Amino acid sequence: MRNTLLEIRGRFDVRMLVLYAAVPVFLGALAMQMLKLQWYEHAHYALQAEQNRLNIVPVLPVRGEIMDVEGRGLAINRIAYYVQLIPERVANLEETLAALAEMLHWSDSKLEQLRKRIQVTRPDRPVLLDDKLQWEQVSPLAARLHHLPGVDVESGSYREYPYAGLTSHLIGYLSLVDKEDLDGRYFPSEFIGRAGVERSFEQELHGSPGSQQEEVDALGRRVAVLKRSPSVMGHKIRLALDIDVQKAAADALGDSTGAVVVMDVHTGAVIALLSQPGYDTNRFITGLESEQWKTWLNDPEKPLLNRASQAAYPPASTFKLVTGLTGLQHGSRLANGSTNCPGYVEFADRKLRCWKRSGHGMVSMHTAIVQSCDVYFYQLGDQLGMGAISDAAMEWGLGVKTEIQLSPESRGSVPTQSPYMMSAIKNSASKRMKWFRGETMITAIGQGALTATPLQIARLAAAIANGGKVLKPQLLADVPPEVLNQVDVSEEHLNIIRKAMRSVVEDPSGTAYRVLGDAPWDVAGKTGTAQVIKMAQDKKKALSQDLLQRQFRDHAWFMGYAPYKNPKVAIAVFIEHGGHGGAAAGPVAAEIIRVLAAKEQRAGADGVQP
Amino acid sequence: MMRMLKSIDWILLATLFCLAMLGMVTLYAAVHQGAPGLWQKQGMYWGAGMAIFTMLCFMPLRLLGLACWPMYGVALFLLLLVPIIGDIHMGARRWLNLGVMNLQPSEIMKWALMFMLASWFASREARGWVEIVVPLLLTVMPAALIVMQPDLGTTLVLLFAATALIIAAGLPWRLFGLAVVAGIASLPVLWHFMHDYQKQRVLTLLDPQSDPLGAGYHVIQSTIAIGSGGLFGKGFMHGTQARLHFLPEQHTDFIFSVLAEEGGFIAVALLLFLYGLLIIRILWIGHRAHSRFGSLLCVGIASIFVLYITVNIGMVSGLFPVVGLPLPFISYGGSALVSMLAATGLVMRVAIESKGQIPWQRPGSPLA
Repeated sequence: MRNTLLEIRGRFDVRMLVLYAAVPVFLGALAMQMLKLQWYEHAHYALQAEQNRLNIVPVLPVRGEIMDVEGRGLAINRIAYYVQLIPERVANLEETLAALAEMLHWSDSKLEQLRKRIQVTRPDRPVLLDDKLQWEQVSPLAARLHHLPGVDVESGSYREYPYAGLTSHLIGYLSLVDKEDLDGRYFPSEFIGRAGVERSFEQELHGSPGSQQEEVDALGRRVAVLKRSPSVMGHKIRLALDIDVQKAAADALGDSTGAVVVMDVHTGAVIALLSQPGYDTNRFITGLESEQWKTWLNDPEKPLLNRASQAAYPPASTFKLVTGLTGLQHGSRLANGSTNCPGYVEFADRKLRCWKRSGHGMVSMHTAIVQSCDVYFYQLGDQLGMGAISDAAMEWGLGVKTEIQLSPESRGSVPTQSPYMMSAIKNSASKRMKWFRGETMITAIGQGALTATPLQIARLAAAIANGGKVLKPQLLADVPPEVLNQVDVSEEHLNIIRKAMRSVVEDPSGTAYRVLGDAPWDVAGKTGTAQVIKMAQDKKKALSQDLLQRQFRDHAWFMGYAPYKNPKVAIAVFIEHGGHGGAAAGPVAAEIIRVLAAKEQRAGADGVQP
Repeated sequence: MMRMLKSIDWILLATLFCLAMLGMVTLYAAVHQGAPGLWQKQGMYWGAGMAIFTMLCFMPLRLLGLACWPMYGVALFLLLLVPIIGDIHMGARRWLNLGVMNLQPSEIMKWALMFMLASWFASREARGWVEIVVPLLLTVMPAALIVMQPDLGTTLVLLFAATALIIAAGLPWRLFGLAVVAGIASLPVLWHFMHDYQKQRVLTLLDPQSDPLGAGYHVIQSTIAIGSGGLFGKGFMHGTQARLHFLPEQHTDFIFSVLAEEGGFIAVALLLFLYGLLIIRILWIGHRAHSRFGSLLCVGIASIFVLYITVNIGMVSGLFPVVGLPLPFISYGGSALVSMLAATGLVMRVAIESKGQIPWQRPGSPLA
């Protein structure tokens, strides 16, 4: 027993000796390999390390500029100088910063901010100290650069929006790429379009980055450029937008909150697309302070919202044109005849009022449009039914996206006779029917659940002018028109409506006579006044619109086209809480027409086609 | 408590302390310009690892002997689950998602198998069919599962530790020789079953210049770093290779190249000396252990350290293909550090239990 045990122990001792011996074998082999590399072949590798100094740096592409139809820059690139510092190469950081602060006129708080930024960045990476500098500002610094090791003055381009306030929603803005965007086409320091045209046409505008192989010294400083694959500049984009018209619209809107869309009736080209209030897109470029962003986000006026295409409002009386056309198409007796307006319409136990309490008396389609009689269209809507009205609304491009290249886009809403709508109220079938009948009549005058964007309304005006072609709004200049839907409507019926629209402006009893009657072009149009809250009519009457508190005031609409005989442009003006459509929105349209007419006259005088 | 302090193996602890210092200094050089906080984190991992080390110093080895069967069973079960419900990471299916954490069952198996074999041979020698075939099966089952994941590194660790244990347990040399021949003969079969990226790594090893910007890049750059360090190095934080970020993963698997570049052969020799000291000391503790289980445990742990060190340094200096094994106590990484400190804690426990005791060779010892 003892012998066996000793035998086992003895064998174990031998085995352990083998294992002890194995350790220096393994470690020794590693040591030999190290000696080979670090001693025998050291010179070879030292040389390789010397040469091992290629650095690949990106060459950023120049972003394509965005022009208006006459070639004026809406988003342009400016050359500017920026100052950066590589902390580990600076001899005395405090002295350097003090010298820079004096030359570049930095405030103490900025200096403090920079100190913090330098502390948190890797010492071998450049820290941006100041940018958007002009040559006059950096030239004294450039002369002293050799006294300031680690400081660098470089030139680069930055984006500028000369008409920032006017074009904020249309052009949009850029910001630094995020991790998600880095799919190989972008370098981390590049900018990418985040809204508007800058975003929709990112692919065209961006171009493609190149790269540069640089030789660097042991500290990573550039010694020479070895290879360069150039970047490809982004495409220039010319928009159909006319900044003169855009500016006229903005001037006419003044401080009002609202939107204006001007569109070529034949091509769908967007000549103006304005939403107010705007915001200063230039402030995004150097990295927007989150404070400013929050202010914009929380502003009750919602400056970031594009009211022309992202927001939908009740189209109010402008929608009567669609109801009227539908009546004519359906051969309704009322559409070809007339009815009496006593100032209200009664059905079952409900009473819907006309805006004119005293009533319009006997009204035909023509007078009902000219004077915007509600009772006539209540009755016409009642006869047509919700199905016919909503079908027609969709035909004319409401409740569907216009496919403009600005996202996100609101499609607005068109109520339908769906079971869902019917079950919206949990009541007896007869009560439901009654509710629905009232809802149909309200929809017929463009109120209730019906909403549309100003862009859709401008397109509706264009479609009435061009013979029922619902066009895709085109942002780019000189692109062929795209007809998204041809409404099945006869010229004869269209002419009845067009004539009435002309009378709205021309006839002294028309709702827009006072403001558009003397416009340089013959305008055909329709006003709209969208109720914001249900307020007893008599109570409202007591207060004039000016005195009503702003948020309770009605939304004002004007839509139309001009010239009447030879239509060129369609216009939609929407003013949030603007009050009466004719009085508030009409003058904006008038100003736009004046600018358009003047431009045409000038172009005619110069012998140049616009 | 005093008895405990007296029986501590101070040489083992001092070696560990020196490795900690060398590791933290090297890591500082490797990350001082990179992501902040890594160095501090590694310090915290050392703290956590030493806490576990201390706890294990109080755990009777008997408990480990009892726990190794269920531990092995659970690890094998989890390994079987991996191909069924495992997560795929970088082309390999190794992880089990437990909701709160991702678990790599092969990591558990590495230790479980070692405990298992030590326990098996604690009362028998590897000299008889049953005595050899059972541990062989215990090794081959998990190894096959892990190599299919595929995880070449851990498979290698498993096989290497098992081999060292079986040799210590008295495997006849004839059989060992036979196994080596069979292993070499089976290499072509292994090649057949290897994944493309693994084949690529082996090919790259044979000729790194064939793919200087792809798979060979790591090896070329780290070899340049090591070679250019020379005998005396470029000085602390003065490595040009490390500084210019030519080195991949320079704080984890490739940290050795930072040490070799900045400290030169002097630092490399110091590191290898410390490793040698550590491993010989572990073997010595095993040799003098009071229980055969403790002896074999130490052999297993020492063999794992040897393999990690050899594979890592061999990989970084172009001797072996790129296999992702960390450099013990030097590479950045919490779980590797903690598990290695835990293993060293077990060795310390063996030393504590054996202090003043006669090595197992008399009647009354476990084998009797």
